[in-house]
Amino acid sequence: MDPPHTARAAASSDQLLAFVQYLRGKKIPVSPADTLDAIEVAELVGYQNRSLLKNGLAAALAKSLHELSVFEAAFDDYFQPIPERPPAGGQSDVEPEGSSAEPPEQAPQIDPAAPGEDPLDGLRGNSLFDALESQDESTLSVAIETAAAEAKVEEISLFTQRGQYVRKILDALGDEALREAAIEFEQSEPAAFEAVQALREQLRERVRDRVERAYLIHASAATEDLLDESLSKLKLGNVDHSQMARLKRLMDRMARKLAARHGRRRRRYRRGKLHVGETVRRAIPTDGIPFHPRWRKIERKRPQIMAICDVSGSVAAYAKFLLMFLYAVQDVLPRTRSFAFSAALGEVSDLFATLPVEEAIERVNLKYGGATDYGRALQDFSELALAEVNSATTVIVLGDARNNQADPRLDLLAEVKARARQLIWLNPESTRLWGTGDSEMLLVKRHCHLAKECNNLNQLERIIDKLLSDKR
Amino acid sequence: MSDTHYPALSDIDAIQQAFESAGYICTTRIATVVRLAAALEKPVLIEGPPGVGKTELAKTCAMVVDRPLVRLQCYEGLDESKALYEWKYGKQLLYTQLLKEQLGDVLDGAKGLNESMSRLHEFGDVFYSEAFLESRPLLKAMEADNGGVLLIDEIDKADFEFESLLLEVLSDFQVSIPELGTIQAHSKPLVFLTSNDTRDLSDALKRRCLHLHIPFPSVELEARIVASRVPDLAQSMTDQLVRFVHAIRSLDLKKAPAISETVDWAKSLVLLHANDLDGSLVQDTLNVLLKYEEDIQIAEGQLPKLMAAAAG
Repeated sequence: MDPPHTARAAASSDQLLAFVQYLRGKKIPVSPADTLDAIEVAELVGYQNRSLLKNGLAAALAKSLHELSVFEAAFDDYFQPIPERPPAGGQSDVEPEGSSAEPPEQAPQIDPAAPGEDPLDGLRGNSLFDALESQDESTLSVAIETAAAEAKVEEISLFTQRGQYVRKILDALGDEALREAAIEFEQSEPAAFEAVQALREQLRERVRDRVERAYLIHASAATEDLLDESLSKLKLGNVDHSQMARLKRLMDRMARKLAARHGRRRRRYRRGKLHVGETVRRAIPTDGIPFHPRWRKIERKRPQIMAICDVSGSVAAYAKFLLMFLYAVQDVLPRTRSFAFSAALGEVSDLFATLPVEEAIERVNLKYGGATDYGRALQDFSELALAEVNSATTVIVLGDARNNQADPRLDLLAEVKARARQLIWLNPESTRLWGTGDSEMLLVKRHCHLAKECNNLNQLERIIDKLLSDKR
Repeated sequence: MSDTHYPALSDIDAIQQAFESAGYICTTRIATVVRLAAALEKPVLIEGPPGVGKTELAKTCAMVVDRPLVRLQCYEGLDESKALYEWKYGKQLLYTQLLKEQLGDVLDGAKGLNESMSRLHEFGDVFYSEAFLESRPLLKAMEADNGGVLLIDEIDKADFEFESLLLEVLSDFQVSIPELGTIQAHSKPLVFLTSNDTRDLSDALKRRCLHLHIPFPSVELEARIVASRVPDLAQSMTDQLVRFVHAIRSLDLKKAPAISETVDWAKSLVLLHANDLDGSLVQDTLNVLLKYEEDIQIAEGQLPKLMAAAAG
């Protein structure tokens, strides 16, 4: 049993909506229909039993294993069992002090005829004060929710705005009256002053919690988005270790998005049009009546991608991200073969098939590191795989085309281009630097179907997107 | 809410008990989702590693509510003629041949083409009526009089297009047949879809379902499952065996043993009259648990550690 939730059952469906908002902030896509389901579920299982509610909502809102784990963490964060406030804090302290220790002369506004009255009586009847004094959880929660709505707390967008919103909500709650009373008591009634201030502090505390939650729900998501956005524009070579985890998350998300967008077009019915000739022939025994129609089969060439990556120092970081991305969309990109080179070239598909990406990259670097030689790499590639490059193959080369003045073997490149469906060259250097120094990029460019600058996540995503839409 | 449909599924504790007496030990989460599915009339999409009892859940559910189970096994290339309905093509052809002579009588005395046509129209679409309709699993489940349980097994193996086909069935419980109109379910079946997660399902499909992920069970739960399936095995033995399996699952294997393998192993140990889990016995029977030679080798290498874990 979780008493705070029973108490707040009235505000619960609003809370559920806020929770949905929170989940969206955590990148769980919740559609309006899901939200309706969630409300229905919550009505059915009730808010009393926390684990029941969690299980029920999980069934309606979390749609994969990944989302389930995010959901569970979010649920625990959001519906933290509120530690019960010791009732002693408000009630028992206030009452005895207020009533016993007060000198009787002070209660002028209300009932001067009864001098034995509590000075706090002047405030009784103020609904806020009453609720605070009697620790009426549900009235307080509702009042705070109403005031929060009035103050438009959901528009909070910055960390620094929190104080401002606390103020606004307190004003909307009618804290002003309590403040005035406190000022009045300050000189004459120290005990009553203390009591009122203690209650006000409690109220302020609650409001602060409320604003904090609003910040977490509405603004933290915006902040996250901002971080994600700047990261996807950052040059991948400059990504440092602390950002790797976020980058990987971002990349996974992009990959999932791409996979979802392109996955649906992957398979088609194998059954093609009616094979008229064969159908007629088969109908001969049945007097020309086609009992056994025969269908043509649609045969399709399986598209293939061959990625050739320079893993020498200057480009290694980019190669790593390209390979990570390619393998992340493996579901929709059938048969990716990868080759790595620096001096010599070798196939590394197996490494990627069996090892986690990061480890595979390290192995690759160990095995094929050295001074870059594009000529030799292309030579090796031709021997290794040129025979398998056909009109369904897309060859992607990632490299800066800086060949230390050696022969880049453009003839081999031209041959690859002639055989392949597409030859794409991705260069992490910005276009302005192409052709400067020992860069052969301007020559290389002429032998490619497409040559692009590619050094951040956004560019990478766009290229892979294009690749996927073009794969047939 | 139509709890009245499946009164057996209107209370979570009762569900757990009923399932347990039907031989399926389920967690509260599973029971909650079943309860919600019955109340909200939504299909349940069950995901999880192979062998944790996804299919079994649907079967048990059918047993508990005492309604027929209609099962549709998905595979690549499954289409509407195998899943929804098909016209009995052969029968249609045969009947047209047989009824050829009748046509003469029907058209007897008709003057001109127009009159003949209008006479033919009077007979309506005789060849596209229910008599020529072959119901496949989905339609069968819709036609069941008193509801039932529909199990769409391994939906991830079907093509993407098939998912779209399912949408109408899953959200409105109806099947549209162009020649006949829309067939609505008399009373809505409980629908379970299972997926081994070999590919991502479409958002549209996911949105229409409640989600249930069944992971490998905890040691206690699995011990209870084994005990209920293989009551002949001594309690101490069951505990040892389950702890052993859990230790094996933590190894890096090609295919981790599932619950069904644990149960099989327990059964074979009963057949061998084993009283204690010792090294040589494990070595001899490891092939019941592990299906790949490499996995067996890995496990044999770690045997002392695994035995220690089993001893608890």
